[in-house]
This record gives sequence, structure tokens and C-alpha cells, in this order.
Amino acid sequence: MLKHKIRNRHPYMFIAPAVSLLIIFSIIPITIAFFISFTDLDLKGLANWSNINWIGFENYQNLFADDTFLKSIFNTLFYVMIGVPLVIICSLGIALMLNYGSNKLFSIFRSVYYMPSITNIIAVAVIWGYLYNTEYGLFNYILSLLSVENIPWLQEPTIAKISLIILAVWKGIGINMIIFLAALQGIPRAYYEAAKMDGANRIQTFFNVTLPLLRYATFFVTVTTLIGWMQFFEEPYVMTQGGPLDGTLSIALFIYKEGFQFSEFGYAAAGSFVLFIMIIIVTLIQFKLRKSDTEF
Amino acid sequence: MAILNSTKGKTEKTLITVLMIVGGILVSIPFIWMITSAFKPESEALRIPPTLLPENPTLENFRHLFTELNFLIYLRNTLIIVFFSFIGLLFNGMAGYGFAKFEFKGREKIFYLVLATMMIPGQVTMIPVYLLLNGIGLTNTLPGIILPGLVAAFSIFLFRQFMTTIPTDLIEAARLDGAGEFYIFFRLIIPIAKPIFAVQGILAFIGAWNSFLWPLIVANDESLYTLSVGLSLLQGQYSNNFALQMAGAAFMVVPIIIIFSFFQKYIVEGFTMSGIK
Amino acid sequence: MKKWLLFSFIAALLVLSACGNDKASKKDSESSDETLTVWAMGEEGKLLKQLTEKFEKENEGTKVDVQAIPWDSAHDKLLTAVASGNGPDILQLGTTWVPEFAEAGALLDLTEYMKEHPEFAPENYFDGAAEIMQFDNQIVGIPWYVDTRVLYYRTDLLAEVGYDKAPETWEELQDAAKKLADRGEGQYGLDIDQNDQIMPFIFAWQNGYDANLKENKLNFDTPEFIGAMEYYTSFFKEGSSQVEQGEEIIQAFANGKKPMFFSGPWMVNILNEQAPDAEGKWSVAVMPGKETKASSMGGATLSIFHNSENVDNALKFLSYMNETETQLEWLDISNTLPSKPESWENPKLQDDPMYSVFGEQLKEAKAGLQTEQFERIAQELLSSLERVNAGGADLKTEMEQFNKTAQDLLTE
Repeated sequence: MLKHKIRNRHPYMFIAPAVSLLIIFSIIPITIAFFISFTDLDLKGLANWSNINWIGFENYQNLFADDTFLKSIFNTLFYVMIGVPLVIICSLGIALMLNYGSNKLFSIFRSVYYMPSITNIIAVAVIWGYLYNTEYGLFNYILSLLSVENIPWLQEPTIAKISLIILAVWKGIGINMIIFLAALQGIPRAYYEAAKMDGANRIQTFFNVTLPLLRYATFFVTVTTLIGWMQFFEEPYVMTQGGPLDGTLSIALFIYKEGFQFSEFGYAAAGSFVLFIMIIIVTLIQFKLRKSDTEF
Repeated sequence: MAILNSTKGKTEKTLITVLMIVGGILVSIPFIWMITSAFKPESEALRIPPTLLPENPTLENFRHLFTELNFLIYLRNTLIIVFFSFIGLLFNGMAGYGFAKFEFKGREKIFYLVLATMMIPGQVTMIPVYLLLNGIGLTNTLPGIILPGLVAAFSIFLFRQFMTTIPTDLIEAARLDGAGEFYIFFRLIIPIAKPIFAVQGILAFIGAWNSFLWPLIVANDESLYTLSVGLSLLQGQYSNNFALQMAGAAFMVVPIIIIFSFFQKYIVEGFTMSGIK
Repeated sequence: MKKWLLFSFIAALLVLSACGNDKASKKDSESSDETLTVWAMGEEGKLLKQLTEKFEKENEGTKVDVQAIPWDSAHDKLLTAVASGNGPDILQLGTTWVPEFAEAGALLDLTEYMKEHPEFAPENYFDGAAEIMQFDNQIVGIPWYVDTRVLYYRTDLLAEVGYDKAPETWEELQDAAKKLADRGEGQYGLDIDQNDQIMPFIFAWQNGYDANLKENKLNFDTPEFIGAMEYYTSFFKEGSSQVEQGEEIIQAFANGKKPMFFSGPWMVNILNEQAPDAEGKWSVAVMPGKETKASSMGGATLSIFHNSENVDNALKFLSYMNETETQLEWLDISNTLPSKPESWENPKLQDDPMYSVFGEQLKEAKAGLQTEQFERIAQELLSSLERVNAGGADLKTEMEQFNKTAQDLLTE
């Protein structure tokens, strides 16, 4: 009885250090930000708190009347719906490819495929800026050899969104790839041998053995990639600053501009809570789907 | 899975190897450009079309880099942050284990709370966090730089996902043998979860090595700056010294590659370990 | 054993945090009597240290501690400083940030010290710089260095289309740009950076526009302003300026595809270093004008943070930085231009063909609208102009819409 009690304390001891740090440096600040979203806090208010006024839901009302914000919601959903499946498929595909062999060459290429995610963002902007340049860019040069007309990669709102998705997929592969790799290593070889004995071909093995055993990793990658893409920021920030005609503006970039370019902290906080709620909904849906799918 | 002896297997292997090499070279072109640009004079760095190999290779950028920066101080600070990020990693691992392998009151709720911290854009909480640090007197101190980023929901979640797959029987058996909970965690769980610790080690290292925002905002003294902050000081308001920045970026990326190739061995090694099952 | 390792880590963390605290608090108490802290941006922050030594020698017992802050993130850093009141004694501000931080009350009003420090009188500076240092009848900083945009042009290519001198009027500029663009496919006349917030205003000032902020009137519906925007967009409509993002300007200028553009003094060195092929084939000239030959006033000011406990020493430091001799020394160190016309009497600036053009232009340089909403208004304007240039929208309707939005922003 006594022993049982002591054992029950252990889970809290394991989670306490991390959870208490998260409470101090994330939960409390988020709560503060939540209150800020109901105020008109700007730089003046920051300097002297007596300048802050409680304005209720005004920020939220203004947000939904703000065409730019609505556009940024549309753009963000566009990014997520195309980008997330692409990233997952590409990184799983590359992980499988790299897992195929185990000699020196394959281990070197594990690093090579990881390079995009550690390339300095300024180098990314310069090189991709050149690849996408309408007149001098490499992509259009190659297309011109195939007598395809110049494509305005970053100058037309919809094409620009797709261009940024390609860039972000390229950049996002690395981290998900190593997670899949680690998960693939965890699959006991016996399972494959058993499948082979049952006469399963490669494709059957993949769908009946590999994929189900990767479900914890896939679930993780899906949830975090989705959250990451809902907060899509860096690519439009360095490549287009949200242009042309706000065609690549994401919600996170909108929030950044409002908060740090124009110092409208109250408004920016309200924007981020709208984003927050959208992400919560999407994540909860994923957890629900997951639960009905297999044991949790 | 790759033990194939037939000729079909051989052609397949060649095909996949070729595909891997071609794809790998394509995706790493910007990276290669970043490295080679570090050896270009400024006039060549931004030329269109870009030159992949420098026409007039020079070490001038690196000379400039090392003479202009308080290099050792920045390096020391960065290494301290890296060191503590590994402690953070341990906290994350413990929490992930706690969420994965224990039943306790409020587990789901606390875990959702942890996940929620991942969902709010960091920019919004920047000022509240700073005010908090200021309130407890940690501005302009090393702990003030380290603490806000020490643990991360992303990492806890990843640990939890992987540790869920560890067979509970294994832990129960150890408990029956009378092993303490921390003993189990350090002696049993960590070795089994080596691949995921390796992945997280890479991520933690990169995050800490590149840390920029908090060192800049919390520090009111250049002696607390990190390498990333130091490098960004070389930029003028209007002049973008690309070649110099690439030299900085190239320099910063070398340790990352070393760490990566070091840890990635463990990602593969995990293979044999989980065969216990 | 590993458990002990863990605990010793935690202990180390605690000890470290305690030490950190100690160090910081000691520093704070020290700084209140003799150390003057200065925040300066990027390269300037690093270079400034060369000047402070002399000041420390002249004022024994005073130590100047310069912290360099990267330009890109300086705004974030300043925000947290304002939020916590934990700022430096003196800070460098880019000209467009002054109204914002002055409005927030983060900058000390120097009015009461003007008697003891007549050298800070606004009359001592270029008009545009004097505008920037004043906000709401307060003196919120002193101009440190200045910059302004001028016309960069390829002398050889302009000569080919019949211009032995740089274009001097709007008509000439338009004509020259058209002729240069007509050289063929992929050739342009004038490069206009569509992300440059101040450029539309420069044209507007040249057309006789002025805002009346005292009465809260932005005057964006006046014929002067709308006429200038017509002029701005005409370059894109006629194909004299490239709408898409093409080749990078330095390269396009060197290979002659874009033989004219507007930029500031920093471009002189960049061109010398990065476009050696074009050496001797380019020059700078005062802005072509209509009613005036106005340009924009940029640069940086030095302000005292509102809760500095070191005001006397801070003033001494500003005074030192303001001396003609220091300004000229700073010119040598950093290649940025002095803010006082008095410093410009020096032959080094007078006789230099490049510098003298900037000196001439500075006399007609104007500050951006002195409201904290300027950044936002300028951004709205750029979006409207982008819709006209790239999206083919009607200028008149866009300007009406913009005027409404901007006026709302101001009176909000």
C-alpha cells in the first residue's frame, strides 16, 4: 500500500521539471497575451501602463472586418492543404530510400538530405530568389529550352504561393526525414522476415508492416508539421514580405507585421489567438481521428 | 530489409543509389553555394547567374570575420547554451517518458497543456516573457538567456511518441527486480531510446548553437552575446555584405555537420537494440 | 551515479543563476554613477568604440560602455527596453523610429537643457534633420549623422541619348528614361524600388506637396500629391521602370540595363567595390525637380532614454559627439555624413565631387511625416501603388481609398 503510493509520485517527478518550466515561460505569458488581446496596447501603453485601455472584443471584431487578415487566413489554409501532405510524403519517401542501404554512401547522403534545413536563411533567400527570378532565373531558363513561356514565379499571387510551398517543402524535409529514419530503425527485422515467409511482396510489406509500425512517428510528424505550417512565416518573410498584393501573406506574418512593424500589440495578440484556436481545432480533430483508428 | 542477392536486387540497388545521389545533389545546391560563396569576393557573391565555384577564391571574408569579432567570448557563451540545452533535453526526455509510460491523474490534460504551448506564435509571448524575466531579476544574466528555451513541447511530444512503443513488460520486469524508477529510466529507457535521443540531440544542438533572439534581447552587455548575434552585427543598415555573411554561415554550419554525422550513427544503431522485443 | 550527475547539473544551474544575478546587480549599481551605456546599431556600434576613448580621456572618471545591436533586430530590443524601462542612457535611433518612440515617451525631452547647451539648437542642423529632432514641441534627440537620396546615373549611357548632364527637371527625367528604355528589349531607363517607402513622398514634395499635421491633415487628396503619384506610376506604365523584380540593381547598373536609380551615400562605396567595371562611367546628381528638388532626410539621431540616471554625463557625451571635429572624425571612420552645415565647410567635403552633391541635396532634404503612424501610412501607399503598377488598378480610385484609410489611421 505504502509502496504503491510512492510509485504514484514518480510520474510527477518525471514531468515536473519540464512542465514547470513550460508553465513559467509559456503558459503564463500566453495568459498575459490573452488579456492583451482585449486591450489597445501599443508602444505608448508599453511605456506607460496607464495608457492601456480595455476595449473588449473590438480587436476581434476589427480582425474579421480586415480584408488583409481574411486574405491571410485563406493563404494559410492554401499553404497547409498543399504543403503538409507534400512534406510528409517526401520526407517518408526519402527516409525509406536512405534506409534502403546501410553502407558508407547511404550514411553520407543522410547528411546531404539534411542540409537544406541547416542552410542559412539568407543563402536560401539569395539562391531561391535567383532560381525564381522571372527573367534570369534558372527555372525559367530551363523551361525556355523546352519552349515554355516565362513563369512569374513570385509575381503572381497563386503561383507565388506554390513557389513558396516548394521552397518550404525543400527546407522542411530534413527534420521529418530523420524522425522517420529513427522510427524505421526501431522496426524489428523479425517483422519483415515474417512477412517474407508469408509470401508478401514489397508493396504489401510496406502497407501491412512498415506503415502501421510507423504510426507513432507519422502521427507526430503530421501533428507537428500541421502546427508548423499553420504558423508559416519564414519563407514569405524573406522571399516576398507577403506580396504580391498580399498574395503570400500568412497569418503569422500578418501578426508579425501588426505587432512588430506597427506596434499594435493588442491587435496582433488577438490575431494570434484566432490562429491559436484554429490550430487547436485542427489538432483536436487529428487526435480524435487517431483514437478511433487504433488504440491510443 | 536490404539483403538482396538476385540480379533484380542489384539493378534495383543501383537505381536507388543513383536516384539518391542525383536528388541529394539537387537539394544541396543552395548549401554548396553558401559554402563556396564564403570564398568569393563581394563583387562575385551576388552575380547573376551565380557562380558555383569562386572565380577568384579568397580567404579575406574569414580574415575579416575572425578579426572583427570577440570570437572567444561569443563561442564560450554559445557553448554554455549548448551545454544547458542538453540538460533541457534530459528534462524533455523525462517528461516524454512520464507521459508515455505512467498512468496518473490529469495526464491527458497536462499533456494537452504542453502541446498548446507549441501552438501560439512565439512573437506574441516575447514581451510577456521578457517582463517576467525582468520581474525575477534575470535580465542581463545567463540563466535569463537559457531558461526560456530550455524545454520544448515539440521535443516532449516526440519523446512521448517514441517511448510509447517501448514494451511495458520490460519496465515491469525491471520493477519486479527491484529497480528504482530513475534507475530504470537511465539504465533501461535511455539505451533503448537511443535513436530518438540522437535525433533530439541533433535538434537541441542546432537550436542552441544558432540561438539568437533571447541572447540579444536579454543581454545588455556584449559579453553575453552568442555567435549568431555577433555575426549579425557585421551587417550595416543599408549594406548587405553577402560574402561575409556566407563566411559566417559556413563557419557556423561546420560544427552542425560534425555533430550530425556523430549522432546519426546512433540513429542507425538503435536497430539492434529494439530487437529485444 | 547518473542520478547524482543530474542533481549536480541542477545545482550547477542554480549556482550559475545566482552568480549571474550577483554580477548583474553589481553592474547596475556601478552604472548609475560613472558608466554611461550607449546602444548603437550594427557596424556603427562597433566603430563608435573608436570615438569613446577620447571622450573618456577628456572626462576622467566616466566610462562609456557601447553595446552594438544588430540592425535587423534592434526594433525588438528597443521594444523590450521600453516595456521594462530597462534601457541604456543613450540610444541611437534611425530617423523613422524617432516619432514612434518619442510618442511613447521613451525619449527624454531636452528642452530644459537647451540654455546650457546652445550647441543643440535646431538651427545648427540641416532643416530636415532639425524637423526630426523635434516632436510635439519637444527636443527628443540630436542629429548624429545624416543621409539623403540622390540620382545615380551612367554618364556614358545618358550621353548616348543626348544628355551630357544629369536630367534636371521632371520632364527631362521622364524623357531620358523613356529614351534609355527604348534601347531595346530588357533595357530600362530608371529603377524605382517599389518597396522604398519614402520614394513616393520624394516625388510628392518635389511637386509642392506638404502635409499639415498640426491640423491633422495629410493632404493626400491635393492635386500636388495625386499629380506626383501619376508621375511615379507613369514610369512603370511607359516601360521606363521594371515592374517585376528583375536583376539586382548594382549589377543592372554596371551592365547598363538600368542606367539611373535613386539611392543614398552608402551606395558610393558599394558601387566602387562591387561594380569595378563601371568605374568612371557613373556619377551622382541632385534630384531632378519640379517645384522643388526635394529629397528625403535619413540617418540617425542620438537620444537620451527617458529614465536615464546619468543625464549630465549623457549630455556631455552628446555635446562631444556634436563637435565639428568629432563629426569629421566620424566621417573618416564610418563614411557617414555630418549633420551640421558647419561641418560641411571643411574642404574635404566641399571639394569632393561626390560629397558636394550630397551636401547640396541635404539642404533640400525633408523628413518623413512626423507621426508614429508614418510607417503604416507609407506601407498602405506602397500597396496602392503596387495595385496600380502590377495589378492595373485605376490610380484615381486607389488614391481616394488610400486617402480615406490614411486619414482614419491618423485620427484613430
